[in-house]
Amino acid sequence: MREIVIIGAGIHRFGRFDDESYIQIGQEAARKALQDAGVAWKDIQSAYVSTQYLPSTVGPKILKPFGATGIPIMDMESACASGGSTLRQGMLSIASGAIDIALVLGVEKMPRGYMDPLQIYYPWQVDMGLSTNPSYWAMRARRHMHEYGTTEEHIAKIAFKNHKNSVHNPNAMYRKEFSMEQIQTSKLVCDPIRLLEICAPNEGAAAVVICAREAAQKYTSNPPITIAACVHTLAGYSADFRCPVDSLSAKVNNPGPTEVTSKKAYEMAGIGPQDVDCFEVQDTDAFCELEIYEQLGLCPFGEAGRLIDEGVTEIDGKHPVNMSGGLISKGEPVGASHLGQVYELVTQLRGNAGPRQVPNVRTALGQVLGASGNCAVTILKK
Amino acid sequence: MDRLSNAVPVGEGLLTTPLSPAENVRINGSRCSECGEVMLGSYKSCANCGGESMQQIPLGKRGKVWTYTVIRHQPPGQYRGPKDPFVPFAEGLVELPEGIRVVSALDCDLEKVHIGMEVELVVYELYQNEQGQPVMAFKFKAV
Ligand SMILES: [Zn+2]
Repeated sequence: MREIVIIGAGIHRFGRFDDESYIQIGQEAARKALQDAGVAWKDIQSAYVSTQYLPSTVGPKILKPFGATGIPIMDMESACASGGSTLRQGMLSIASGAIDIALVLGVEKMPRGYMDPLQIYYPWQVDMGLSTNPSYWAMRARRHMHEYGTTEEHIAKIAFKNHKNSVHNPNAMYRKEFSMEQIQTSKLVCDPIRLLEICAPNEGAAAVVICAREAAQKYTSNPPITIAACVHTLAGYSADFRCPVDSLSAKVNNPGPTEVTSKKAYEMAGIGPQDVDCFEVQDTDAFCELEIYEQLGLCPFGEAGRLIDEGVTEIDGKHPVNMSGGLISKGEPVGASHLGQVYELVTQLRGNAGPRQVPNVRTALGQVLGASGNCAVTILKK
Repeated sequence: MDRLSNAVPVGEGLLTTPLSPAENVRINGSRCSECGEVMLGSYKSCANCGGESMQQIPLGKRGKVWTYTVIRHQPPGQYRGPKDPFVPFAEGLVELPEGIRVVSALDCDLEKVHIGMEVELVVYELYQNEQGQPVMAFKFKAV
């Protein structure tokens, strides 16, 4: 298979932008990625656009104004993993030899307040009041606490770390440090999950220009960053309990989607979790990040609390996680969130992350997970 | 006249029929004849093994809370429970004898809800639809 590299990356800050349309937001990220690569739009042979909450033909609306070159521009959606599945499609088209270079863009402008639960739940679940997304995170957290002795303090520590990291990320929505006390006394959303421990839906965009390694020199003078793996899977039977699941098997205990997806990605990249220098992961809520430590193989099951206690996942720890501040600080513009992670990892691999820079990053991993057990893991290498 | 005689279930295939008397109604499950897995509601194929021989079974009435949380704010969308004022309730996964855990509202003291709590099925009228029919839903009550 042809090796595929990232030669340019761009972002539109995540947040709320009342005076910008999704077209403007998406164009800014796409332009920046093209400029970063030094590639002209007319050289792009195909474009893949990830979005979940926007209307139809979002990609063409954003990109055709750059020049109606006639290339295929496709919208794609896989819930919170949309950016991963979209990047993978772009890679497959290059790997097949059909094209040499593609633009992959994630963009989102989500409605304010609660999202319409009928987007993911059955009407009867909504009628019965079983449509509060954070309640599913809370129920997973409660079970983990019961089985492994994980505490509310462990969960709060994740939020503390991510808010602290966000201060140095100009692309985050919230850039404010909070004390442990502020976090642990913030409003209870669903026991045991609190307001300062969850992410907010919002707006933003991120984009990369990818090409075949052998073609990279033709297009750019940037040192190419290898996409060592990009895997998208859906959770196996009863393997993932999160909204909008209505039941779970009590007999079958299949491995969770992040475990399955990261295993495949490590294998594809020829590495293990210990070889990864930094991570960006799906902290929809602070507990979720704890659970992901275990599923990514950073520690045995049940020991994630110890990992955060020992500072292993701090920027100066052995396995830094969410240097960007994570979704808790950036917000989650669903279609853009994985490409936002990739943007952060490219910045880290280039050594351009300023005060949040992890020293000597050579290998970096991004992970997203959402509705229907959609999961994506991307591994980048310098 | 039995006012539940024209009742409908909140979700198609979710409850056994007839819907009256309510205390005889159970949650509907589908058991795979090939692998034995049980799913909530009515299915024609098995998501575990792909088998196409599914048998409808009524799920047991008694279960234990496997995990829980408390819903303190009115859920988004067309919530049909009490809204004015909203009454906070516990939500949990209830493990039933058939080997399935079902997401459900829990009718119990919010201070006393815990993992392992014994609960029993209650089928009740959630609301009346536009045709004036009682719409039947389920929850589990602490015993
Ligand atoms: Zn089966």
